[in-house]
Amino acid sequence: MAVFMDLNVGFSAERSRMTSLIETAAHLGFSTVAVNYVFEPTAQKKPEIPTPTPIRELIDPLPVVQGRSRPIRVLNRLTVVMSDSSHFRPNAAEYRGFDLLAVQPTTEKLFHAACMLYDVDIICISVTEKLPFFFKRAPVNGAVDRGVVFEVSYSAAIRDSTRRRYTIANAVSLMESCKGKNVILSSAAEKPLELRGPYDITNLGLLFGLSEAGTKEAVSSTCRSVVLHAETRKSASGIVYTMKSCSESSGQQGAPPDCRSSGQQGALPDCRSSGQQGALPDCRSSGQQGALPDCRSSGQQGAPPDSGEGAPAAKRAKPHLTSD
Amino acid sequence: MFGGLERTPRTLLVCDRSSFLDEKNRLSSQVEQLHFNYKVSMLLPECSSAPSHLEAVLNSIDSFYLIRKLPIHELLDKHFLETAVHQGRVSGLSYGTRIDEDNCVALMPNGHLSLSLDKDSFEVLGVEGKPSRFNQRSNSRFVVSVDLTDSAMAPGGRGYQRLVTGLRSRLQLKTDFLLSHPPGGGASLQALLSRYDWSEHRPEIRSHALKDLSCPLLTSDLQSCDPHRLLEWLGAVDAHVSCENSSSSFLSSLVCPEPKTRMSRALSVSVCGLLRPQDVHRLIQQIRCYLDQPLVENWASLTVHGFVDSPVSWGGEEHGVLKGGDHFYSLLMFHDHTYQLHLAAGAHDTCPP
Repeated sequence: MAVFMDLNVGFSAERSRMTSLIETAAHLGFSTVAVNYVFEPTAQKKPEIPTPTPIRELIDPLPVVQGRSRPIRVLNRLTVVMSDSSHFRPNAAEYRGFDLLAVQPTTEKLFHAACMLYDVDIICISVTEKLPFFFKRAPVNGAVDRGVVFEVSYSAAIRDSTRRRYTIANAVSLMESCKGKNVILSSAAEKPLELRGPYDITNLGLLFGLSEAGTKEAVSSTCRSVVLHAETRKSASGIVYTMKSCSESSGQQGAPPDCRSSGQQGALPDCRSSGQQGALPDCRSSGQQGALPDCRSSGQQGAPPDSGEGAPAAKRAKPHLTSD
Repeated sequence: MFGGLERTPRTLLVCDRSSFLDEKNRLSSQVEQLHFNYKVSMLLPECSSAPSHLEAVLNSIDSFYLIRKLPIHELLDKHFLETAVHQGRVSGLSYGTRIDEDNCVALMPNGHLSLSLDKDSFEVLGVEGKPSRFNQRSNSRFVVSVDLTDSAMAPGGRGYQRLVTGLRSRLQLKTDFLLSHPPGGGASLQALLSRYDWSEHRPEIRSHALKDLSCPLLTSDLQSCDPHRLLEWLGAVDAHVSCENSSSSFLSSLVCPEPKTRMSRALSVSVCGLLRPQDVHRLIQQIRCYLDQPLVENWASLTVHGFVDSPVSWGGEEHGVLKGGDHFYSLLMFHDHTYQLHLAAGAHDTCPP
């Protein structure tokens, strides 16, 4: 099993609230949280895509996860609430500052497009209203094949009893189409009181129709797959990274992003199973478990290419599984 | 789809009845197989203070060491292997690591080293291992089990070199580590301890005198009390949960199983720490001596809990946590040298012996 993650913690401008949210999450046992910036363009006004605040300004130092000896890892996430297909611009430059990209479709056409075409990591299922469309097997299976996950958030259920009904109803209908695969459960918490512990969410998943093992996966392994999938979006198929080094000469070594369309991202959780099983851990500087979190918490915005480690990027070397 | 809501996660309960006087009783092997014990709690009815011999045994339980950020390749250090592991005297467990989230390490007294690793760590380490028995859809946890006393793992051999290189340069696994005190003094550990930040801890002993307790009528004949209800009641007493179920209290609706009687006083003693099977044996002997005295109540109970985050359970079998990782056994001893033993394990566990 992987560590427990909560990939949707609402962003608010007040620093004290964010600090207490992240501290509560660490106290409850979550090892990774993602601060969610919601971007909702409408026809009338066109707001700017928010830029993520550096983690250091939200909370410093990072609290240690209860029961373990590591500090919590904080990521940035953007959710685009789409009511029209022009709202989500693929490959927009502003998306690079975020670690995770999520989209919340409101019509059936947009849902189909999001599942099959859009380059996102998470598709949010709305829990505040009755779903205007039904889930069809075809787009859901397409999304599962691509490694995109569906997200059900539970804090609306804590706030309001009508939304509790919608949450359960929408979640159950999702589980019927996707058979419990590629689902994550997260809070969309705005206050620390709306967060629940990982084992409590495991029990909540049973109400949504997941099996016991499946619901534990929804809080741990599937979340890990999403984070890895998001990392591959920044690289070429997750094999070749570009990293800014101290000297300017190493520059770009990666293949152009188009090579991703050769379908190498595969079905998660084995997004690395294109044969290069050692590749991603190596990019984390010789297999140290803490490497990526460490380079994130050094105050960067959470994007791995800026780790400044000075090493050349194409670390395809040393697949450790070959027996000597 | 909602049929699963009525079922609680799978648990296993093995009940065993025998007598201490019977030569074929398996109690000593069953106790011996649970290497890492976290807590032993005893309930002595009609007793207001601990008998002096029991107190002496409790105070003489060895202390244990907590080493901060021990690199695990140090457990394969030649000197440590020769002086501690090969003599079969030391056992240790990683501390502050969760079995379903992190990498956990256990060193058993018979020289087996068990590493329970998540997928990334296992792939980086590059040593042969098996997927965990409790993996569901995808293999996310792997177990590497190494016999350090085997000739293939002798220092300098290929298997040994590969594991040491893996732990030293590829994976660099470092955890806080609890190490038991070897019999005959800690001199063999001094070399290891001197290199790292360590502290010595004594097991914590807590004693609670209970008054006016309702308890089930326990006799040594068959089926005097349903095991589930009995274990629930013993747990409630140990956790100081009231079993009165009064209408004014909403905290607990646990009740004492029928038929029941009332005891004017009882003593609940618990000791927590890294306890070894030998310590448990000595405590069992002391309680048997206590029960031999003519003026006491008919029975006494002793419950031993294993570590929730230990990678191994009885006999080195794999242990995991689904929702809870309790594995424990409860021994109910009677005046006439008979006993009832209940061994319980959770969902991600093999059957107790």
